Amino acid sequence: VIYHGPEQPPTSAPAPSPAAAPAPRRSLRSSWRAIESDAPPVTRKAQARLGLLLTAPLVLMVTVFLLFPMLNAVYYVFVDFNGINPNPPWVGLSNFAELVQDSRVWAALKNNVIWIVIGTVSPLVIGLALALLVWGIRRGSVLYRVAFFLPYVLPQVAVGVVWGWIYEPSRGWLNKALEVLGLGGLTTGWLGNPSTALYAVLGTAVWASAGFVFVIFLSALRNVDLDLVDASRLDGANGGQRLRYVILPQIMPVFLMVTTITLLGGFSVFDIIFVMTGGGPAGATDVLGTYAYSRAFQLSQISYGTTLALVITVLAVPFAVWLNRLQRRLSLQGTGA
Amino acid sequence: MKLSLVRATAGIAACLVVAACTGGSPASSPDNSSQKGGSGPIKYLIETPEDAAALKALKKHIATFTQSSGIQVKVSTLPTDTMRTVLQTQLRSGEGPDVFSWGSGPGFGGALANAGLLYDLTDAYKKYHWNVYDWARQRVTFNGKTYGIPGETETVGLFYNKKIFNRLGIDQPASLDDLAAAAKKAKAAGLVPLAVSDKEGWEGGHLLSMALSSAVGPAGMKALLDGHKSWNSPKVTSSLALWDDYNKAGYLPNSPTSVDYDGATAMFYSGKAAMIPTGSWLVGEIDDNTNFPVGYIPFPAAHGPGVFAGGLGSGPFISANSNKKGEDLQFLNFLASPQHGRWTVENLHTIPPQPIDTHGLHVSPLFAKVLKDTAHLSQSGTGLGYNIDVLSTDVFNEAMFDGVQAVLTGQQSPEEVASKLQDASQQ
Repeated sequence: VIYHGPEQPPTSAPAPSPAAAPAPRRSLRSSWRAIESDAPPVTRKAQARLGLLLTAPLVLMVTVFLLFPMLNAVYYVFVDFNGINPNPPWVGLSNFAELVQDSRVWAALKNNVIWIVIGTVSPLVIGLALALLVWGIRRGSVLYRVAFFLPYVLPQVAVGVVWGWIYEPSRGWLNKALEVLGLGGLTTGWLGNPSTALYAVLGTAVWASAGFVFVIFLSALRNVDLDLVDASRLDGANGGQRLRYVILPQIMPVFLMVTTITLLGGFSVFDIIFVMTGGGPAGATDVLGTYAYSRAFQLSQISYGTTLALVITVLAVPFAVWLNRLQRRLSLQGTGA
Repeated sequence: MKLSLVRATAGIAACLVVAACTGGSPASSPDNSSQKGGSGPIKYLIETPEDAAALKALKKHIATFTQSSGIQVKVSTLPTDTMRTVLQTQLRSGEGPDVFSWGSGPGFGGALANAGLLYDLTDAYKKYHWNVYDWARQRVTFNGKTYGIPGETETVGLFYNKKIFNRLGIDQPASLDDLAAAAKKAKAAGLVPLAVSDKEGWEGGHLLSMALSSAVGPAGMKALLDGHKSWNSPKVTSSLALWDDYNKAGYLPNSPTSVDYDGATAMFYSGKAAMIPTGSWLVGEIDDNTNFPVGYIPFPAAHGPGVFAGGLGSGPFISANSNKKGEDLQFLNFLASPQHGRWTVENLHTIPPQPIDTHGLHVSPLFAKVLKDTAHLSQSGTGLGYNIDVLSTDVFNEAMFDGVQAVLTGQQSPEEVASKLQDASQQ
């Protein structure tokens, strides 16, 4: 490949040999020309045409379903759109200013943080514990996998409705079970009591998601090098040490992948809360997602709701990027199942 | 070729962005649309009824209109919450329903009227002589123009189990003291005195409406709703505090914010609750689900029997973008007819917002009494209080729904909620 770009005229001093000095760094454009020059002009055109043709559907889809909604959302953040007025007034950054001063946003964010911490840690711990318990089981492991995974494949709406019945103060079996056990003093209206409502919904969400984590961890454990585990046992490592120093490092990329999914789910959580409490009582279980919905669609403040949604995205992206990079780095290091 | 493809892709993307940023615009004038009618049936959108049989019956009833007029009507349904989110977009796009059933308050029909999405029915009222009650017509009139037909009249009051009352020797409550005494006796008998639910939040609006209507009377309610009186006032505070007191006294179910509406009605139907404060829309279900006589009274005032809080349920509107307004008007004429009113009384157990000859109708004694009382109060024009949520903005309603929940769960005091209601009324 002979390069004759304008920044490197052919009349200049002879170029050093590749062995003597590193090759000059080419721009993307110059690389493209260099590749182009390999083929006859007719073939190059055909290749370009084919390339465009093949990428056009994807470009169109990305434009329509990703780029366009994002640009649209950014536009709505700077206007005051109520869902009706086709020419909403430009309000600049006032949606952001309102957001900062809105005490309900901070209350919802606090609930999001609680959800992210408990809703991420609990399924990981429960799922890992279950996976470790079932790991060595040969007979009936399919039954366990189905039983634990089933809640995850059930529609969230159905899960929310059924757990709503369980939590019902007078007819729900949770209170009845507590009374039978002599713990009647603990009975309450689980979803109507602001002190318990968020945790009651969280309990349901953990129940539903732990099965997913369990199945993923169980698959990862199947690839763990058992020789290493046996060796550590011979070296006198106890169960906790084997988990900490032998098993977990081998499944770390999978662990991070599951952490990413559950953690990001904590930012965008909506459906289970919406079904079970609607964000109530009096906003006690509102998270940013339900609050954004309420403002956008119940109060017809589309722009403010969009601003909230954008904030959720902005908050979630750094975590996603960080965890993704960490996972990739560990995979490249060969630490993985 | 390459360049043209790139340009085409960029062009499409730019068009999409511009289209999204500007949105469609509703017809600026009803005259923009043809009066001759478009092709296909009238698209009639209603909120999904709780009872599937009611929808089936309605479709069958509308078929009689099609038979007599030759106009096809396609009925479709959406859950209320979904309708709230998509209706405006549908109407703006021109792809929405021609006729739709929707709430009458400023946050519902009023918002659509202000956006130019509704067809003005003022002339149609003159042409067809639709005879609805004046107060009801006023509630679908915005900026001097009437845009809808009130669908049904609803009152909010107190149902009570006559069998329980007789057994416990309780008289029909004629004041708040009577009500408290009745609740105390019911509680002592191991019953839930008042089957109050507030899990969904909207029930709180009715709780405040009935207590406040009786506390300040129809004129006082009008002054509050018109902004002539402040919501941050002792009567509003005491009406909120009343429910707080009843909750603390154990007159409500355990944790009413955990109990949904169906749970509360089930308590009443099963005879576990002596009373249920709710609206006249429940009459049909009470008739179907109870085997004991039921009374229906206004929520008592401090020193008297109180007044019913009155309101309108959803009623039909015509989309400004409909291209079949001639047919739409004929359909509305059918929906506003006394014959349709009689049909709704018998089949849907709803109260038409117009004088109805109930002679020969097969209705229960409870519903007959409700019909009679409502007709009397509607014609007098002064005896009904106000159901707040159908007359208020979404912002106010949210403050009210959250506020009552906050009072019942101890998150806020009645004074704090009253203050927030005043703030919301100013937005």
